Amino acid sequence: MGRLDGKVAFVTAAGGAIAGATARLFGAEGAAVCCVDIVEDNVGQTASDINEAGGKAIAIPCDVTDDDAIKAAVDKTVSEFGKLDVCFNAAAYSEKRHRLAEMPLDMWKSVIDVNLTGMFIVARHVIPEMQKAGGGSIINVSSIYGVVGAKERPAYCAAKGGVRMLSKSIAVDYAEDKIRANSIMPGPIETPRLLVRNPSIEAVIERHGTRLHQKRLGKPEEIAQTALFLASDESSFTSGADMVVDAAYTAF
Amino acid sequence: MGRLEEKVAFVTAAGGAIAGATARQFGEEGAAVACVDIVEENVKETAADIEAAGGKAIAITCDVTDEAAVKDAIDKTASTFGKLDIVFNAAAFPDPLLPLHELDLDIWRKTFDVNITGMFIVTKHAIPHMLEAGSGSFINISSIYGARSARKRPAYCSSKGAVRMLSKSIAVDYAEHNIRANSILPGPIETPRLLVANKNMDDVIERHRPHLPAARLGQPEEIAQTAVFLASDESSFMSGNDCFVDGAYNAL
Ligand SMILES: NC(=O)c1ccc[n+]([C@@H]2O[C@H](COP(=O)([O-])OP(=O)(O)OC[C@H]3O[C@@H](n4cnc5c(N)ncnc54)[C@H](O)[C@@H]3O)[C@@H](O)[C@H]2O)c1
Ligand SMILES: NC(=O)c1ccc[n+]([C@@H]2O[C@H](COP(=O)([O-])OP(=O)(O)OC[C@H]3O[C@@H](n4cnc5c(N)ncnc54)[C@H](O)[C@@H]3O)[C@@H](O)[C@H]2O)c1
Repeated sequence: MGRLDGKVAFVTAAGGAIAGATARLFGAEGAAVCCVDIVEDNVGQTASDINEAGGKAIAIPCDVTDDDAIKAAVDKTVSEFGKLDVCFNAAAYSEKRHRLAEMPLDMWKSVIDVNLTGMFIVARHVIPEMQKAGGGSIINVSSIYGVVGAKERPAYCAAKGGVRMLSKSIAVDYAEDKIRANSIMPGPIETPRLLVRNPSIEAVIERHGTRLHQKRLGKPEEIAQTALFLASDESSFTSGADMVVDAAYTAF
Repeated sequence: MGRLEEKVAFVTAAGGAIAGATARQFGEEGAAVACVDIVEENVKETAADIEAAGGKAIAITCDVTDEAAVKDAIDKTASTFGKLDIVFNAAAFPDPLLPLHELDLDIWRKTFDVNITGMFIVTKHAIPHMLEAGSGSFINISSIYGARSARKRPAYCSSKGAVRMLSKSIAVDYAEHNIRANSILPGPIETPRLLVANKNMDDVIERHRPHLPAARLGQPEEIAQTAVFLASDESSFMSGNDCFVDGAYNAL
């Protein structure tokens, strides 16, 4: 018996490290998974991993900022699997470091568009399906940088803080429809993404220094396990919560 | 395969509603459970329930504010089951509803003694066993009233705020030894405890209605499920977190 037997999940950024691990775990726990990412090759790989492991998955290459494409992806998920009751939102733009005054406006807009508006777009199309299904769970990936500041990442911090409050707003407005919404705030997780802004993983560990209390980075699977808990009925009274998965990074 | 197979848990307040449900859930997931409470009859019943369901449990009658008794109870747990990996701390004093200037110093002291000093005592004597085992997980029951205030409960609110920071402090100091500590902040949970200050459960819902968007109370089992997640290795990168399980109470 899987912990998500009978559920259908819509996972954005499923071609990436964290959402890829999450999609695979959802599949292993019995959910049918719609894997969405802007990079076709990667999202196809995640879906085929799930299918090869005996699960059910489809891949849909699509941009979370494209309202029509997301609506079509949600419709396709429902026509393929019959309903939709779990949504894991993780798409994020990989921007370079800049202090605010040096950040080009276009870069700011791209970050807000993908990281925050993309979650709004996905939510507006999955919510009606969840209402039809009689309930659902939305899991939005924020970051510890939605709670504390990071150096030279004004757009990312603003967007991730926005994600945190977006989840609470959904939680409050749709509780009566039995739709829950929660955020996950990962600390530094060992993913290729970190290499956009850092020369090596060792440099990341060095950079975070004494705040990495376990003296290691987190693993994508550790975020996936948290998402599994939030997706399952085990968390039926958990809504509007900030699940900080950071080995006490922000407790210090 | 249970999610807590091979683990040994020490559960305080296990004669009560929330910790009783948690002890039973831990047992069901394969952990051996030491059930601890000041009320002998109730804690024996919890332990008997676990055994009747095919699990392993012992009942220990003990006051969490009595250091010598707590040390004995923890040592007995480790000698009976071979080690100690999980501590669920939930003992709380049933404080009367009074504004601060009408609260006797004795009641204030008693509330702090049970709610927070009891946790210090349990933690102090559990840590050496966890250091020996090479890992551990503390789950401390705070409350939404550790994050926002309730009327006429100055001692309860301040003690529950202290629980949150105690968990973070343990999380930071013992992370390098793979010992994690998190708080759970339950919203109103349907337990006999609520009837101390309310006529019936409908009254409770009515009183909290503006903060209960799902218009229902939580169930002890919903806290227990969160505790299973935090006790298990699934939450290996999660430490120092405030886990709200409140049906979005604190999101409003
Ligand atoms: N890695 C970390 O340390 C860390 C820490 C905190 C939060 N996060 C968050 O976790 C999430 C996943 O990050 P990751 O580390 O797995 O990174 P990743 O780069 O591996 O994954 C991001 C994925 O998003 C996809 N994507 C980007 N723009 C898109 C768009 N417009 N439409 C659809 N897909 C798009 C990318 O193709 C990529 O596959 C992100 O929201 C990130 O902000 C990561
Ligand atoms: N019920 C709720 O709505 C709610 C909400 C938020 C937080 N909590 C917290 O959850 C925890 C459990 O509460 P509950 O609702 O299950 O209440 P409960 O009254 O059913 O359980 C409390 C238990 O603690 C035991 N206890 C009291 N003093 C003790 C001592 N000195 N040593 C050992 N055991 C002692 C009692 O005998 C009782 O069995 C408490 O910490 C409470 O503050 C409860």
